[in-house]
Amino acid sequence: MDVQRYISSGILESYVFGLLPESEQGDVETAVMQYPQVKAAVQSLQLDKEKFVQLYACPPPAEIKDRLLDILRREGTQEGNALLPQELRVPDPVSNKRIRETPVKQLNGQKKPSTDRIWKYVAAAFIILLLGSVFMNFFLASRSTDYKSRYKSLIAAREKLEADKEAQSLTSAGAEQKEADMLKDPAFKQIKIEGAGEQLGHVVTVCWNPISHALFLMAQVMPVPPAGKTYQLWAIHNKKLLDAGVFEGGAQMTQKIQEMKPMEDAEGFAITLENKGGSNSPTMNQVIMAASISR
Amino acid sequence: MGATLTYTEIELVQGLQARDEKIFSYLYDHYSPALYGVALKIVTDEASAGDVLQEVFIKIWRNIDRYDASKGRLFTWMLNIARNTAIDSLRSKAHKLDQKVQDVTSTSLMYEPQLAVHLPVDHLGLTKVIDGLPKDQRIIIDLAYFKGCTQEEIAKVLEIPLGTVKTRMRNAIIQLRILLKQL
Repeated sequence: MDVQRYISSGILESYVFGLLPESEQGDVETAVMQYPQVKAAVQSLQLDKEKFVQLYACPPPAEIKDRLLDILRREGTQEGNALLPQELRVPDPVSNKRIRETPVKQLNGQKKPSTDRIWKYVAAAFIILLLGSVFMNFFLASRSTDYKSRYKSLIAAREKLEADKEAQSLTSAGAEQKEADMLKDPAFKQIKIEGAGEQLGHVVTVCWNPISHALFLMAQVMPVPPAGKTYQLWAIHNKKLLDAGVFEGGAQMTQKIQEMKPMEDAEGFAITLENKGGSNSPTMNQVIMAASISR
Repeated sequence: MGATLTYTEIELVQGLQARDEKIFSYLYDHYSPALYGVALKIVTDEASAGDVLQEVFIKIWRNIDRYDASKGRLFTWMLNIARNTAIDSLRSKAHKLDQKVQDVTSTSLMYEPQLAVHLPVDHLGLTKVIDGLPKDQRIIIDLAYFKGCTQEEIAKVLEIPLGTVKTRMRNAIIQLRILLKQL
């Protein structure tokens, strides 16, 4: 081997500064033993490295030494070893093996391998059963909660439907009742107010009970009032118009009985078109329909 | 530290083999700054470096029988343990080549001791040596020794042919030797 060439190849520097893979490290170590020149070169490089690394020297935290001495004092005892982190318990595999594995091997001997094996299988079977059961429990539980919630929502939906139905029947019953009363009570007077001219064809029927003073209205044929406007009913009494409340028109209202303000006395009724919200006093030029009560 | 008390390497090795705590204590006092410095340089955080140092001294204590004087001085052996333990610790933290490369490419930060958490003992000496090394040579020493990179990784980082990594390493160390002699 050309020793000089070997030395100047850079392999020794790479060896000393940790760049060589393990496979090549062995080659260098062999060369070191064979060639004194190589050995001298390596030693000199190692000194360089030591000097270089010393430049980075830095005092470690003081408590590390105390911890180390404590560990060393308790070394060999089980508790001392247990104190160490896992990676520190293994660095001496020879003694560890002796302490740990030998007794285990003896216990495991050849005495009861068959029972051991049976127990292993039994344990494995139980574990599988347990896992299966856990899984089934989980699965069934999630399914049953699913049913529960669906059942609850169904009940809630049904209750809501029933409540809706009840409320609807109550209100419609109330309206029907009023209508029936109105028709049955002979005291009720029906005053049909019919439009003329521009209002031709428009019909509003007012039902008034002079005894109970109740006043209702059905806008049987009335268009929806212009935007921002509303219809207002007035009772004519002593040549004055008394506010009887506002009412709505339109196709939807044709069958609805609209309750108006109670009225003590009236000779007739008039309808005006007022600004939305109604008015305290009638806008006389806006009287669109009127009728007097036939006595 | 007992300044009057000094031991030869052989005495140290024999003392450790005899489980002499006084020797261990002396060894720790004299070598822990250098070993801690290496660990700190490699793992870069103090907590990990402290863990590494502890592990290193336990390994020294337990494996002293494996120390082979024919392969190098005791300090070289301890340095190898420290470097390998620190690099293992670094790797266990899943540091990948990218990480190493990133560290190295920001070389100005890496080598400026005034930016380090701890001021190294030989601040001036380190600055002189580091400043005296051309950038490529600093990087190759750093990658090889402190990052534990393979030749393939270094070739990739420095964008040089794999076959020239060793000669580059040699040139870097020759320059390093010149600088160390000037200290």
